[in-house]
Amino acid sequence: MPEIKTYSEAELIPLLKQREQSAFGYLYDHYSGALNTVVLSIIPDKTLCGDVLQEVFIKIWRQIDSYDESKGRLFTWMLNITRNAAIDMVRSKGYQNTKQNQELTESVYDAGGSALPNVDKIGLRKVVHTLREEYRVLVDLSYFQGFTQEEIAKMLDIPLGTVKTRLRAALIQLRQLVKP
Amino acid sequence: MDTQAYIQSGIIESYVLGLATAEEAAELQQLCAQYPEIKAAVEAFELELEQQAMNDAIAPDAAVKTALMATLFNEEQQQAIVQPIGTGAPVIPMHPVYPSHHKTWQTIAAAAILLFVVSAGFNIYYYNHYQSARNEYQALLQERNNLQASNDTYKAKFNEAASSLRMMGDTAMHAVKMNGLPGKEGSYATVYWNKQNNDVYLLANNLPQTPAGHQYQLWAIVNGQPVDAGMISDCAGALCKMKTIANAQAFAITLEKEGGSPTPTLTAMLVMGKV
Repeated sequence: MPEIKTYSEAELIPLLKQREQSAFGYLYDHYSGALNTVVLSIIPDKTLCGDVLQEVFIKIWRQIDSYDESKGRLFTWMLNITRNAAIDMVRSKGYQNTKQNQELTESVYDAGGSALPNVDKIGLRKVVHTLREEYRVLVDLSYFQGFTQEEIAKMLDIPLGTVKTRLRAALIQLRQLVKP
Repeated sequence: MDTQAYIQSGIIESYVLGLATAEEAAELQQLCAQYPEIKAAVEAFELELEQQAMNDAIAPDAAVKTALMATLFNEEQQQAIVQPIGTGAPVIPMHPVYPSHHKTWQTIAAAAILLFVVSAGFNIYYYNHYQSARNEYQALLQERNNLQASNDTYKAKFNEAASSLRMMGDTAMHAVKMNGLPGKEGSYATVYWNKQNNDVYLLANNLPQTPAGHQYQLWAIVNGQPVDAGMISDCAGALCKMKTIANAQAFAITLEKEGGSPTPTLTAMLVMGKV
């Protein structure tokens, strides 16, 4: 059995920037589960989710030099890469096409009472799901679907200022729910 | 600044979750550097979020790691195609598509450059060939012109000789042999005199070279008096046309100063012959 090593972020970052493959292997083993949950909370398709996760780690490996420790933790940086990659995939043409096919399949399964993975039960989604409706919609559109506050204001036909205040209130409440 | 109000405004959560605008993020980063309590608040939420995500971790399919490592670290990563993960569903190729395109263009570009170099080589080679062929052609042209010129010269000489022959064959033509006078026996010349039209031609068979500033002059003796029959200019080897003379009894040649004299210098007489 190979020796199992554990690294702190501070130890890991310089090794990654030096292109240490073993450090990257550790990074994957340690964080892939948490990031996989983030992808799954946006893309329910497990196969596509694997592709996105792979793309995410390729980006992390190739763009590690652009990570700036002064701006936040490594995990926060990876989390944002993951969320953006998943949203990009959802917005891509290929995904939109497969989704149309899938909706047919899903309706068949639903009729048969089969339990497909429900995004509302995964990761942060499950917490967001417990927020009250006007908050839940804002977090869903901005965090899980990647719309800007201007776009949301137009979509919901409410003033931009209201979107901003309401979203911040929603996030404060979300934090209370996330706290262990 | 009321840092507590700022911390509790929800901006920390917006920023960490990636929902803050660029201006808000820039402002927060600046305040973090300025107020340690703001930085601490950001870190606290980051840790909470990370903890929550780690607790909710769902391990991905093992095939994802295999495919990822193969894509990033295999030597054949240029050709690597993302391995299908799970079952059935379409695999969307990611990075490998780009390098293969890239490679095609590289190959085409390399081939084009090679072709260009080879073509340039041929250009130089054929240009050199063209140059030498051109030079040879010029040399041949020159040679042909020379041959033509000498041919023309020979033709002219031949025509002259033929007309001389014709002339000498004329029945009215008299040949007057002029032999060397005593002391100048080696000298010898011939006058051809046409008695009908009085044409006089001279053939300088053997006359010594004239000294500088001197010329031979032909005289005809008409009724006992010497008459100038013309200067003998440089027409060696061929007949020289002289002045027309009627009723000559004899011909003689004297050496005179250049341009001739009105009367012959008898002491300088070289040859003489009677008709």
